[in-house]
Amino acid sequence: MLYSAYGREGTYKYLNHFSYAFSLSKGRGEGFFLTTITTVYHNNRRIITYAIYAIGLIALLLLIVPLLGSQRPYRLVQSTVTGVLVGGVYALIALGIVVINKASGVFNFAQGWMMLLGGLVFYTFFSSASSISPLAALVLSILTGLMVITTNSWRALRNPRSLAIAAGIAAFGFIALMIGGDSLKLLRAIIGAVYGAVLTGLTIERFAIRPLIGQPLFAMVLMTLAISELLHGITQMIWGSVEIPLQVFTGLSQLGIPMPFRIQATETLGGTIIIRTELLLAFLLSLLAFAAFVGFFRYTSVGLAMRATAENQKLAQSVGLRVRTILAVAWAIAALLAAVAGVLQGGASSLSLNMPLLALSAFPAVLLGGLESIPGALLGGLIIGLVQEFANLLFPGTQAGTELAPYLVLMVVLVIRPDGLFGQRRIERI
Amino acid sequence: MSSNIRPSGVFDTSYAQDIALNRTRADKWLSNGLFLLLLLLPLLSSDGPLGLNIVPTLWIGTLNRIAIFVIAVQGLNVLTGYCGQISLGHAAFMAVGAYTGAILGRQLGMTFWLALPIAALVTGLVGLIFGLPSLRVKGFYLAMATLAAQFIIPWLLRYPLEPLTNGSRPLDVPVPTLFGISFAADGAMFYIIIPAAVFLSLAARNMLRSRVGRALISVRDNDIAAEQMGINVFNYKLLAFFVAAMFAGIAGCLAAYNTNSVSLDTFLLDQSIAMLAMLVIGGAGYPLGPMFGVTLVLLLQQIIIPSLIPPLNNVLPGLLPFINSVNIYAALSPLIFGAALAIFLVFNPRGLAHRWEIIKIAWKLRPFSH
Repeated sequence: MLYSAYGREGTYKYLNHFSYAFSLSKGRGEGFFLTTITTVYHNNRRIITYAIYAIGLIALLLLIVPLLGSQRPYRLVQSTVTGVLVGGVYALIALGIVVINKASGVFNFAQGWMMLLGGLVFYTFFSSASSISPLAALVLSILTGLMVITTNSWRALRNPRSLAIAAGIAAFGFIALMIGGDSLKLLRAIIGAVYGAVLTGLTIERFAIRPLIGQPLFAMVLMTLAISELLHGITQMIWGSVEIPLQVFTGLSQLGIPMPFRIQATETLGGTIIIRTELLLAFLLSLLAFAAFVGFFRYTSVGLAMRATAENQKLAQSVGLRVRTILAVAWAIAALLAAVAGVLQGGASSLSLNMPLLALSAFPAVLLGGLESIPGALLGGLIIGLVQEFANLLFPGTQAGTELAPYLVLMVVLVIRPDGLFGQRRIERI
Repeated sequence: MSSNIRPSGVFDTSYAQDIALNRTRADKWLSNGLFLLLLLLPLLSSDGPLGLNIVPTLWIGTLNRIAIFVIAVQGLNVLTGYCGQISLGHAAFMAVGAYTGAILGRQLGMTFWLALPIAALVTGLVGLIFGLPSLRVKGFYLAMATLAAQFIIPWLLRYPLEPLTNGSRPLDVPVPTLFGISFAADGAMFYIIIPAAVFLSLAARNMLRSRVGRALISVRDNDIAAEQMGINVFNYKLLAFFVAAMFAGIAGCLAAYNTNSVSLDTFLLDQSIAMLAMLVIGGAGYPLGPMFGVTLVLLLQQIIIPSLIPPLNNVLPGLLPFINSVNIYAALSPLIFGAALAIFLVFNPRGLAHRWEIIKIAWKLRPFSH
């Protein structure tokens, strides 16, 4: 990241000689304690770098291989399967972050709280019609309608046609949320979650991100952190610190699907491999959602416009794209992705205040895949899932999988390849 | 900068005048007087030797907490405000300082006065390690590296170092003593913490005005241009990490000896975010910023939010039927904190210190507006 337009080697060499001469001749100034070390490093940059990589790799292998060898083979297979399945949700969270980053260059630290909020909204409408508060449904529908029509400017409020559209959106939402019947509760929950996610995404973009356009990166990073605090407060205020197992996958057992799949492999691997049906279904659904969004970016005009905006905002504006609307749509889509991830994760385990912490371990996945890369998000998510499961297997009782391994991966990625596997290399000019 | 605006007729005729911290006599009396007044506060509380009850004891504890956070946020100001490197791992550095000080005092029986500098040094070295990625990455990526520090350091303290740190359980810390005087009470710790905070704030301010400070600012404003001007960007970034971590270490160690116990729960990611928020609310890049920010945020958390809860408990559940009054207590703190941060970022991104400078200028130029 530090290379200038002149190429990194050239600039460094020139500056090193300069600073070295400076420190020798004057004996102060630049020559404080690390100059000699950094000069030696810069002059032998490549050799030292590869030597450090080699030492690190050998140390890792020496640590891991004996531990892996002592494990029973079926447990290795079990960890691989679980890791891949868990990685599916990480890939969804990572995709949400990548979408926002591609469109507006903001890294969204609040994705985890958006995920929890989406899951909780889904949970609220995933109950019998009588227990749904009509006031909450009405407020949700009306606010969503208003936010949707005013994405480009508040002037839409004066336009009768826009107001009619808003009324339509609100009426559809309210009626859909209030129709009775227990058989329709999944439909109600899905509509409620979509409305909630769109409202969350658009509100965040309108009131927090849009006023900060043109501000330095520091302000943007802090703003997403402020949003996460706000969402924390809102979820606490309405739902409290609960632990809710979301019963979305309970219908499966009535259909005759075995609840955990058991694969008997006692002869070949020495044990039984257990695949939790909830995890498997969450994984398949997240792959489906992932594919749907990739298709959206590739084949629909809105998706193409979003990619064009991500490439160059001024150019996109000059060919007539509404950049402001597109940024708002990106946030809405990210909130939708977060809600899907929240519902799937809530179904696989439960909705609780741990979920935002879980989303933090998707950040390494984003950086590993590359901040701008959609396939990278999938690969990164799966790798992080695998790394977590194997760390839990090899170092039991220390929370190494959830608390340490993803962040070690993050450090390694940052040191070796900061742009990730598929990210764009950036060349900076003054 | 507004410090150039002076009463008319005050001109610099020597270098000593140019670099003086207090340029006019009024400034000098004001700052020294305020410092003395601050030092008198514990004597006026009920714990003091005079037995007066003018200042509530609670204030002394709050002032201690504020001063400890001022030290930590001054360090963050060096790193983020002056050098422009975002750190999401400042609380982890505080944890390193706190645990180093605690272990040195407890297991090795070392006196507090030796444990404090050693804790600062150890934390500084840990900060250097996590500053190393700044060789390759910057901006947002570096923030991610410090985020990794925020998770890796507590994990190391919790599991591999458990025999020393007592793991997730809190660790008792001895009371500092000097010549037989025990610094057990808040009023006694006050005389360690407040001078330390004042001294370190002045040190940070002096650093800003020196060659190092100007180099850090040039790295913040445009690191490629700074490099072309012959500033060793990497060295200065590492220096900023070292200083920031050292300040955090001192703050952590003081916090440990202040409460006489250390627990990892007080050094989580929330605390790092809170410190960044204090910096922004106060004004990043201003020497006075940390004091404003820490004071406002801590007063908000400790005084304003508790006093808001009873009226909200009465009003909110009636107004919005889906809100349960049990949840208000836990929800209000993040809600108000996040709202304050967001409002400052949108409407006052340069913080309270910038407002303060504007007020000062307006006062000095009165009755003319410019």
